[in-house]
Amino acid sequence: MPGNVDVINRTYDSVDVNGGLFMLEVKEIKLVREERKILNSLTASFEKGRVYAILGNNGVGKSTLSYVLMGLESHKDYEGNVYLDGEEIDLLSVPERAKKGISLGWQEPVRFEGLTVREYLTLGGKLKLSVEELDETLSTVGLNRDYLDRFVDESLSGGERKRVELASIILVNPRVTILDEPDSGIDIMSMEMIEHVLERLRDKGSIVIIITHREEIARMADEAYLLCGGRILASGEPEEIVSFYRKLCDSCQHINEPVKEGGLAND
Amino acid sequence: MIESNYEREFTAIAKEYEKSGGNVSDFLRKDIVSIIVSGNKVIGRNTVDGVHVRAKELDNGVEIWIDIDDGTIIENPIHLCTGYLKPEGTQEILIHNHLGDRAKVKFISHCVFPSGVNFTHSMVADTDVGKDSEMLYEDTHMHSKDGGVTVKATYNTIVREGGSFQNHFYLTKTRVGKLFVKMSVILEKHASAHIESKVYEREDDYLEIDEELYLNGEGSSGIARTTVFATDRSRAKIINKAYGNAPFSRGHIECNEIIKGDSVEVGTVPELYVTNEKAELTHEASIGRVNVKQMETLMSKGLSEEEATDMIVRGMLR
Repeated sequence: MPGNVDVINRTYDSVDVNGGLFMLEVKEIKLVREERKILNSLTASFEKGRVYAILGNNGVGKSTLSYVLMGLESHKDYEGNVYLDGEEIDLLSVPERAKKGISLGWQEPVRFEGLTVREYLTLGGKLKLSVEELDETLSTVGLNRDYLDRFVDESLSGGERKRVELASIILVNPRVTILDEPDSGIDIMSMEMIEHVLERLRDKGSIVIIITHREEIARMADEAYLLCGGRILASGEPEEIVSFYRKLCDSCQHINEPVKEGGLAND
Repeated sequence: MIESNYEREFTAIAKEYEKSGGNVSDFLRKDIVSIIVSGNKVIGRNTVDGVHVRAKELDNGVEIWIDIDDGTIIENPIHLCTGYLKPEGTQEILIHNHLGDRAKVKFISHCVFPSGVNFTHSMVADTDVGKDSEMLYEDTHMHSKDGGVTVKATYNTIVREGGSFQNHFYLTKTRVGKLFVKMSVILEKHASAHIESKVYEREDDYLEIDEELYLNGEGSSGIARTTVFATDRSRAKIINKAYGNAPFSRGHIECNEIIKGDSVEVGTVPELYVTNEKAELTHEASIGRVNVKQMETLMSKGLSEEEATDMIVRGMLR
């Protein structure tokens, strides 16, 4: 963008990234939509440098959890608390949470008419990136520098936009990375690419939370949570949770509980 | 080439022209067709084989004829630059473009009125695009900062059989003042057109846009699209019309008005008229804030709301 620009700081100096046990915690998160408990007293914690899979079928509240963590305006009416390094961040807006190092890779990346991939990745020039960094990141997601001058519009396929989205997440270097269905729109041959993305984020010490219903993706994590009816049903080693998922979720209807009379507070 | 008496005037216009994204050195090249108008004077002109340029000075403007021979393909765009450097006055520009058959040309037009306090610019461009010819006309405006410029721009175009025409109007980098744009295109058999206006309004700017497609020829097609970003106390009235008068003609009209602020007043009216049962017309219109998901996507990467809005709007208005 023309004119004076502030450079986005990717080191998040409010917290010591390299030392200490950086944590994200969610406690007793409840969210109701159309008289259904989409998130139902959900509690979980996430540690620096580890990859977590939130596994569950469609409609169990996985994406809702990602929106709550990111602080989307449409999902700010939750009960319970989100803590980042012990600090309550419930009142923080999306940009405020992003400045603290939380970022979201969207399930279906939106199109931007008139913006090039380069502008998108550098956030209009606010993110100062070296050529090498751009090249390396594009390569990680299976793209090349020819994409930089293409527009992030309908001229890119859904899969290409998804790769651009993953590249943008790597480049903002988040401390907490939420990846909502990172494989959606991407062919099954590209699972290795997703593994590389996760490796890069893990190596940088990011907490990575993958929202998925795919067992292959869940297996890439260090730890997995099984989500059902807005609750954490089980947590542990990914293989164990995947096996749990197969056993429990085939027969489950995954219906979010209706709110009882008197509302959430009396549950 | 620049007339020797007008070098100082050219320098002043050139400065504004460059601000609007133009490349001044193009005016000095012998292989590029160019016409530079200041007030009611043609201060620079050049042409190449196959392109015939005539100009007549009027009391308060200039009349220009550009004729392009059949089969002429111009590699470099034809540059038109119209300027007015005084704060007050009026300027009338009449343009007659005639593109022969099987010709191909791109026009880049810049209108720069950097000092206008009480200034009116009227422009009428009549264009005839020959059979199987292609023409692109890009018109970029730069107005003064205080909103004292009124522009009335009318484009009347006929596209002959198999021809293709694109007309893009941009006023996004400066205040608008008062702007009235009318684009009308008549399409003959298998002709196509894409007309588009993009405007960024600030303070108490006022805008009226009227885009019309007459799909008169069998198999003709056209798109008329307007994008407006209205802020502060600005107002806008947009009318997009399409007339489906021939079999297998297809037209689409679209208006997107993005608003920011409680004092903005904008409206859009899509009008579709069909006189042939095999014609097909569609429309799309939206008025509202910047797309929330686009905003959240950029904000979740670290941009503020203002920065995200700016980035999205600049992309849309590009």
